[in-house]
Amino acid sequence: MQVGQALLDQQVIDRNCEQMGKVDGVVLELGKGKPPRVFTLVIGGGTAARRVHPGFARWLVRWRRQWGPKDDHPLEIPWSKVLKIGVDIKVDLEAEHTPALAWEHWVRRHIIGRIPGA
Amino acid sequence: MSKLLEIALGLVTGIGGFLEAGSLATSAQAGASFGLQLVWAIALGVICIAFLVEMAGRLAAVSKHTLPDAMRERFGIRFFTIPLVAVVLVSFLVLASEIGGVALALQLATGIRFQWWAPVVAIAVWLLLWAHNFGLVEKGASLLGLVTLVFVVGALKLHTPLSQVAADLVPTLPKEEPAKYWFTAVSIIGASVSPYLFYFYSAGAIEDEWDESYLGVNRMVAGLGMGFGGAVAIAVLAAAAMVFHTRGIQVDQYEQIPLMLAQPLGWWGFILFVASLGIACFGAALEIALQIAYLVAQGFGWKWGENIKPGQAARFSLTYTVAALLAGLLIFTGIDPLKLTIFSMALTALSLQVTVVPLLIIMNDREYLGDNVNHWVANAAVLFVSVLACIVALVAIPLQLLGS
Repeated sequence: MQVGQALLDQQVIDRNCEQMGKVDGVVLELGKGKPPRVFTLVIGGGTAARRVHPGFARWLVRWRRQWGPKDDHPLEIPWSKVLKIGVDIKVDLEAEHTPALAWEHWVRRHIIGRIPGA
Repeated sequence: MSKLLEIALGLVTGIGGFLEAGSLATSAQAGASFGLQLVWAIALGVICIAFLVEMAGRLAAVSKHTLPDAMRERFGIRFFTIPLVAVVLVSFLVLASEIGGVALALQLATGIRFQWWAPVVAIAVWLLLWAHNFGLVEKGASLLGLVTLVFVVGALKLHTPLSQVAADLVPTLPKEEPAKYWFTAVSIIGASVSPYLFYFYSAGAIEDEWDESYLGVNRMVAGLGMGFGGAVAIAVLAAAAMVFHTRGIQVDQYEQIPLMLAQPLGWWGFILFVASLGIACFGAALEIALQIAYLVAQGFGWKWGENIKPGQAARFSLTYTVAALLAGLLIFTGIDPLKLTIFSMALTALSLQVTVVPLLIIMNDREYLGDNVNHWVANAAVLFVSVLACIVALVAIPLQLLGS
């Protein structure tokens, strides 16, 4: 359990050292007679919001139905993809091709990208 | 870059960047209302901010974490939302105050009402950030900010009794108007200890890839930079004291403040006052808009950086865009920039605990700092000033609101 706690809210970077987000949640695997193991790391606004307040998370879900990217769902990173844990957690993925950057892409496409010079 | 150059640059930034709408307005008002008596409030604020800036730099150099990074990691997102929301709100009000300061400088220069300048200033701030060469702009603004040294010249030409300045470094009880006295004292401390200063500094240290070999540079820059910056703020207070207090003039309009330089230095005093106000506030506005974006991006793990093309860090760019435009809009509504500034500074002092306490906990955590954890003197100094500021603010803000 303490391992999970220690990983929460750490910075995640991809294999090219691009920022992906924070560890918003940790999924643990519970086996009979074995200590719990970290199964996946979760990056997702909804997951983070639930940890702030469940009511806030519900409000966020409702709001997101009208607005924002359609491909926005939590990214689950299997433990096997974790390359290194240092100042940041480095994972063997490419951030650009994951839902972790769904909002980044949405903002880029719909707002920032439309302003000259972006 | 050689370390000596880094120190020199840090000093220039400290001197040229210390004065902004908050310290200018609060110091001027303090000098006009209470003469030299409130010099101690500037000194306390400077001691506190010097320690805080040093800590933010040390945290970055040793742990490679920015302040928001460390706070979220150490305390979890639930707690982190409190400093996040508090600092974003206060910074936003301070940003609006700075934009108001630039707009007023333009009003003084052209005669056109400040409201009409507010959107222009906001767009100019945004445009410079959007053009993603902030590093250059920042250094330029600091260099130009040296114009604020004119306040030192003014204070000296007014024959400020330096022995009295030294004597007033020791706090004394007010002889009249206690509510206003304490409120002004708190606003001064809030203006000196603006969180944006050390959040911004920590981001800069990460971007410049500081390591433990920079701890000496960090200490020098924090101590000397803030110290000399504070001296400029004391000069503002002194000039205001000599020009306004001795004649019994109260300062309640920005338009009056140029007199404190125009009286000793004539026409050039007026010109240099307008330039100081405009440049100092504009430099601060750039930093604060950027700092709001830093804070949010670092808190949520987004990509951030001052020299990335906006499209490469869309959420980060959106944050400073929204902050700058909304702050411009607030001034455009015609809200009194001087009142807004003083009020934002008092609010800063009130909200100080929210960032200072978690920072102190991190700075004493060996997991982050190893053997470079805080000395007890640093803990005591920062805790003393911030708790004092918070208590006085809790009493003085309601009294001030009731009084007016």
